[in-house]
Amino acid sequence: MNFLQYIVDLGPSVMLPLVIMIIGLCLRQGFGKSLMSGLTIGVGFVGIGLVIGLLTNNLGPAASDMAKHFGVGLNVIDLGWPGTSPMAWASSMGLIAIPIAIVVNVLMLVTKMTKVVNVDIWNIWHMAFTGIIVQIATGNVWVGMAAVAIHAAIAYKLGDIFGSVTDNYFGLDGVAIPHGSSATMGVMASPIDDLIELIPGVRKINLTTEKLEQRFGVFGQPLIVGTILGLAIGLLAGYQVGAALQLGVQMGAVMLLMPMVVKLIMQGLLPIAAAAQKMLQKHFKSGDYKVGLDPALLLGDTQVVAAGLMFVPLTILIAFIVPGNKVLPFGDLATIGFFVAMAVGVHKGNLFRTLISGSVIMYITIWIANQMVVLQTSLAERVNLLGKADQVGSLDQGGNPLTFLMAKGFTWDVSIGFFVIFLLYIGSFVYTYLKYKRGTLYRVALPVTQKAASRR
Amino acid sequence: MKTILVACGGAVATSTVAADKIRTLCQLHHIDVDVQQCRIQEIAMRAADVDLIVTTARVTTDYGTPVIHGIAFISGINLEATEQKVLDALSS
Repeated sequence: MNFLQYIVDLGPSVMLPLVIMIIGLCLRQGFGKSLMSGLTIGVGFVGIGLVIGLLTNNLGPAASDMAKHFGVGLNVIDLGWPGTSPMAWASSMGLIAIPIAIVVNVLMLVTKMTKVVNVDIWNIWHMAFTGIIVQIATGNVWVGMAAVAIHAAIAYKLGDIFGSVTDNYFGLDGVAIPHGSSATMGVMASPIDDLIELIPGVRKINLTTEKLEQRFGVFGQPLIVGTILGLAIGLLAGYQVGAALQLGVQMGAVMLLMPMVVKLIMQGLLPIAAAAQKMLQKHFKSGDYKVGLDPALLLGDTQVVAAGLMFVPLTILIAFIVPGNKVLPFGDLATIGFFVAMAVGVHKGNLFRTLISGSVIMYITIWIANQMVVLQTSLAERVNLLGKADQVGSLDQGGNPLTFLMAKGFTWDVSIGFFVIFLLYIGSFVYTYLKYKRGTLYRVALPVTQKAASRR
Repeated sequence: MKTILVACGGAVATSTVAADKIRTLCQLHHIDVDVQQCRIQEIAMRAADVDLIVTTARVTTDYGTPVIHGIAFISGINLEATEQKVLDALSS
């Protein structure tokens, strides 16, 4: 037992390589390949540690200075999903979450509660994050594991619910997107869509954006987003121009380097992911099932790209108006499309409606991210990814209603905000579910001739 | 040597899976390739410098460089057909 504790105390960059190597050997990957997988994941953690250090050590003080200058308290940096997913994987819930999520999936498939065969092992980190946050909040590992299972079950069901949207709008037949954040935020879009439908005039508004990407595409480049943001915050913090420029390039570096180091964690997980996929697809392979995949598949759609672009400045703007907000959007800005992708589909590509529902989604996300800062900081501390920051937060999964409702609900640490989110979220969820049940979530418009024929 | 750009939403998850499979495929067929990863929105800036683009998301933009929809690399469905497309694109 002492030996195990010793290994655990060495931190995730040592413990996870060992665990992954042992799992690799159990999956008969051979010694060399298992060793490489294990070490690659270790390198991923060392790398993300460096990048988070670069981020918090430089942007942190600047954000604090900016806060002092202007009385805007945006001094908790959003690490984004590239900073948050490694925390989930490195936590004690990280690797336990994979078998839990798979068992929940199999149980739901066998009892015909879902048609989604989830082979997207990477995104189990969302469920693992909910699990470890709930565990930290409640102090009970079993409640944490239950939270993983609940989050997984809801995500798979959302894969079914949004089936008509992924089939018809995104043209992904046979595929579901049971995602921890894209799908969970997507439920807000349906009631908003119907509300807009009720307003005369407004219901006819649509935006076309064919040219948007061509003209402003460069401002959606992660490197540019990071550099501009760093430079702007440097200047607002009262830095000399030279120092602000340095901060700008450093933040550009963070944006560009983040996925490069985080992908190493994915690379290390590949053998496990491949084995899980093989096992699941062998047992559930008839045409009745949908393969559950990553929401990355939605991010190529022109309207999603356009929305992702528009929500970079919008999210920053919203961050300024959310009451009491301390979270400075950063790490998630380059991939804000993940939050609104499903909404784009629900609105059938109508960008005007996406702007409205997306603003609601980002407002809620930012507000919740604030409530989770203390818990997420304590997680970051546990896995040595805090850098020199006092506090950290994240929009992706730190700002998720499911994680928030479970972490606060299970400990009965509730405020008025809790009930507002509870009612809004559960209400939207039930609304979306009922529309799915009635088959009206995504009505495919009939061609004119067919409409005339059906009237006869 | 040919350069392949593999893109997905965040350049972390699905593009890593696809890139890994493409590397293995090329090794098997003794094709010397450099497989790089990026986010979807970065393709436009880098398209001119690569020989082939593989995306896990469906993209409709014309980048002036051949694009292959690589969803099969992650779903496993009709994988052989997509692998053949990649091989054909590389041999042309």
